[in-house]
Amino acid sequence: MGLFMILFTLIGGITLSAQSSINGTFSRKAGTIETTFLTFLTGTMFLTIFVLFFGNGNIPALLEAPKWQLSAAFLGTMYLLLTVLAVPKIGVIATNIAGIAGQLVIGVIIDHFGWFNSLVIELDIKRIFSLLFMLISLYFIYKGNKRSSEPTEA
Amino acid sequence: MRILFYLLALLAGAALSFEGAIYAELGKAIGQLETSFYNFFMGSIILGLLWLFFGKGSLSYTLEAPKWLLLGGVLGVVYLTSIVVSVPFVGVGVTMVAVIIGQLVMSMIIEHFGWLGSKKTRINKEKILAVISMVVALILIN
Repeated sequence: MGLFMILFTLIGGITLSAQSSINGTFSRKAGTIETTFLTFLTGTMFLTIFVLFFGNGNIPALLEAPKWQLSAAFLGTMYLLLTVLAVPKIGVIATNIAGIAGQLVIGVIIDHFGWFNSLVIELDIKRIFSLLFMLISLYFIYKGNKRSSEPTEA
Repeated sequence: MRILFYLLALLAGAALSFEGAIYAELGKAIGQLETSFYNFFMGSIILGLLWLFFGKGSLSYTLEAPKWLLLGGVLGVVYLTSIVVSVPFVGVGVTMVAVIIGQLVMSMIIEHFGWLGSKKTRINKEKILAVISMVVALILIN
């Protein structure tokens, strides 16, 4: 069961990279804002069906939720908008690596201080090394991208 | 100029982390699927407004584009669902590592073959090293 779930999650990651490629292509003709808008709109349509059939939460509780929690929607919007903007310029893999790096750094900071009621996990040697490897990864993707785009552009 | 787009992508990831931490709280109150729904619903409104005031592209291209170009939204939902389903079974750490490995390896393949309309850029030593370093970083963080 565990292995099956891991495979399932791998597919989740694959769909995410397909999404950034497709959106990058679509945005070249339709525009960045338009592409992001369409992604959210069709996503909402699908989720409406999902929530109606499989939802067992409490949507009206949204009205009582603290506003700072609701403001996360602006962050979600920003993420997609910036991704659509970056893919046509630096490519799918570089956008994803840089995105993950940003995610890890902030994730480690949030854990360290226990912001937003999260579990406090202090920054230790292992995590410092982790951030170091992440920087190495960013460096390699920048170099690698430069190298493989040079012969085609020249 | 290129470096600016790397910074924007970093910023996108940072936004995603804040979003995840905040939505974890919201999810406790209203449910996870409902939280995803709220995110997409609110996102549609925010982008609808942005589009009305600042949209310079052509939304009408939606009707002419090949249908596979319209799959972005569904894929986002598939991604979210896969995470929501697997976390209770294998935990957040393993889920995160598996998602990112899937994402990075697939991105590399897509670009190598120039699939889905992406610019064709070949896999090289540096890219593979970048993915390996990222995997090491993820394992160390957990």
